[in-house]
Amino acid sequence: MPNERRPIRPVRAASKSPDRPEADSARSDGTRLEDHAAIDRLVDELLPALVAKLSATQLGEIQVREGDWRVRLRRPADGVVPRGRSQDRSPDRASRAQPGHEGHGHARTATEGHRTTRSAASPALSGSSGSLGSNGSGSLGPLPVGHGRPIEVQTRPASGESHRVVATSTAVGIYQPRAELTPGTRVRAGDRIGSVNMLGVPQEVVAPADGVVGASFAEAGDAVEYGQDLIAIELVTALVDSVDGADGRPGGSLGGGA
Amino acid sequence: MFRKILIANRGEIAIRIFRACRALGIEAVVAYSEADRESLPVQLADEAICIGPADARRSYLSAPAVISAALLTGCDAIHPGYGFLSEDEGFAEVVRAHELTFIGPPPAVLERFASKEGTRRLLGSFGLPTIPGSDGMLRDDAHGLEEAERIGYPVLIKPSAGGGGKGMRMVRSPRELESAIKVCRSEAKAAFGDDSLYLEKWLEDNRHVEVQVVVDRYGHGVHLGERDCSVQRRHQKILEEAPSPALSADARADLCERALRAVVAAGYENVGTLEFLIDEDGYPFFIEINCRIQVEHPVTEMLTGIDMVATQIRIAAGEPLGFSQADVTFRGHAVELRINAEDPEHEFRPSAGIVERYLVPGGPGVRMDSHLYAGYEVPPYYDSLLGKLIVWGPDRPSAIARAAAALDELLIDGLVTNVSIHQALLTSEAFLGGRVTTNLLDRVGSAAFLAAAARV
Repeated sequence: MPNERRPIRPVRAASKSPDRPEADSARSDGTRLEDHAAIDRLVDELLPALVAKLSATQLGEIQVREGDWRVRLRRPADGVVPRGRSQDRSPDRASRAQPGHEGHGHARTATEGHRTTRSAASPALSGSSGSLGSNGSGSLGPLPVGHGRPIEVQTRPASGESHRVVATSTAVGIYQPRAELTPGTRVRAGDRIGSVNMLGVPQEVVAPADGVVGASFAEAGDAVEYGQDLIAIELVTALVDSVDGADGRPGGSLGGGA
Repeated sequence: MFRKILIANRGEIAIRIFRACRALGIEAVVAYSEADRESLPVQLADEAICIGPADARRSYLSAPAVISAALLTGCDAIHPGYGFLSEDEGFAEVVRAHELTFIGPPPAVLERFASKEGTRRLLGSFGLPTIPGSDGMLRDDAHGLEEAERIGYPVLIKPSAGGGGKGMRMVRSPRELESAIKVCRSEAKAAFGDDSLYLEKWLEDNRHVEVQVVVDRYGHGVHLGERDCSVQRRHQKILEEAPSPALSADARADLCERALRAVVAAGYENVGTLEFLIDEDGYPFFIEINCRIQVEHPVTEMLTGIDMVATQIRIAAGEPLGFSQADVTFRGHAVELRINAEDPEHEFRPSAGIVERYLVPGGPGVRMDSHLYAGYEVPPYYDSLLGKLIVWGPDRPSAIARAAAALDELLIDGLVTNVSIHQALLTSEAFLGGRVTTNLLDRVGSAAFLAAAARV
């Protein structure tokens, strides 16, 4: 899907990790060069696949680990549901869009959230969507900052966490996971993993990607709101698939200061 | 009285309802869409629950989502605000079936007043002067032509459902009528799912005056005076004031009393607004009733000192009104300016974006009802109302002077607003002279109106 690919101009430099304090100014030139090489490699190899994945699944966030590095791709928390071609094929996928689902509750200040959105604005995933109509050309050049829906890219050394996506609630109601679905069960994108009963009508929750069932964030019988995290899907095989399937190049270098 | 209310709306009215809940000691839960996660009502409320995506059809307009949210959060009543589900009798019925209270008229009352044309006949039978119109819905083109001939051109084609100017056309001849009926039917069908149309006599230079009534479950009612909403653009109200400069004291008292008598006799309950057109000779014609709290209710609150949303909640809870007409006093003059995210220089097209700076005016008699804050991103999915600047003064000239001063103080940086049209209005001869008719802005054209004001 070549025209699904959006150029990405990451705006966050690789940030220092609590696990690796030497990654800051104290690190040696050799380490620094290694890090930069690793970042460049991640940008070239991994980001196009992740962007394609994020676009295709309508997820709010994708996080993957590569060796010592963790790459997190996140939509801004503006509640916007992109309308890409993939969605045309599978209209119910819009319901799984989960902008900023790590930020549930109302703890974040709005100002920060939106400032981040704007200042971190990078080319919009939604450019091809037509729903905002701002960047319909699908060109690979950098798109205007602050236009459309930017994607925020963060990379940093990982702390051993596996890459995963999260299935979120499709309705406000009572959650009922599929009973036979235990951690470790293999699922394919679109498999029903449970439902949310909204006033007597079950609303299906399906796996957002191929993978293996991981942690649950809600119990059977819990009251859940729309968009709430329900169950993690570990992307054990998905990464390989997506890397193989993508050949796009990012539109910029990772982190101006790197 | 209720213990906990679900606020099934957004923006400034969600905050207004929250404030009424606070005043009454009731807990408030805000139901919000994903696009409103960072909104002020969500931050202010005791609890907030996400009911769906940005698309209102799956959030604010979804009866199952709203009711499910109310049940999950342990609410005993739902306040629908205005717009969205506020006048949907089917929704009110389902709310009641789940042993919750719909804050507004009971479902049976909403149903009785659901058809505009039926309501006109109903209230006409209780002594209200109604605008001449077709006998029932138009069956076909021939019926339309026949009725238009009887009423006399020009006539206004109106859909029975909905509002906001959709499916409405004024026609001056049989030929125009025939082609317009088709357009109106398809517009009404698309907008409201109902293509039934009726005809109303078109009044050339009319004023829009509405009477606010409050009736409790026991048939005790009062009127809270009238509001003048003649400043409109394409059937959308821009500025409201009370008392109406179009009415003498006698005409005002007569209109308000007749309106109250008719709705009480017709079995109305809770707060409601009867809309009238006043023709060039000062004669009123009833056009429709709004069975909900209205955007412009603060104008009435400024004059009477009555908290209308709290009153609405109390009546829905079954409390008696607790005061009589003699207790209602009207003081001074109030003006409300609707501050919208739209560009008067470009056909009022809507704008969206981040509010970079936001400064609210103050001083005697100045009130700002708004959900804005610095850093807030106005989402593009909903109506363009950013807030309402309401200004009171002891008389009309002082209220207008205070409004102009307050408007100068108001600062909303980061997106285009319609402040310039208000500046133009507050200095225009037509408005200062109390002579604005509903067609003024459309007849003169907003651009010409702005240009004329700039020369003053």
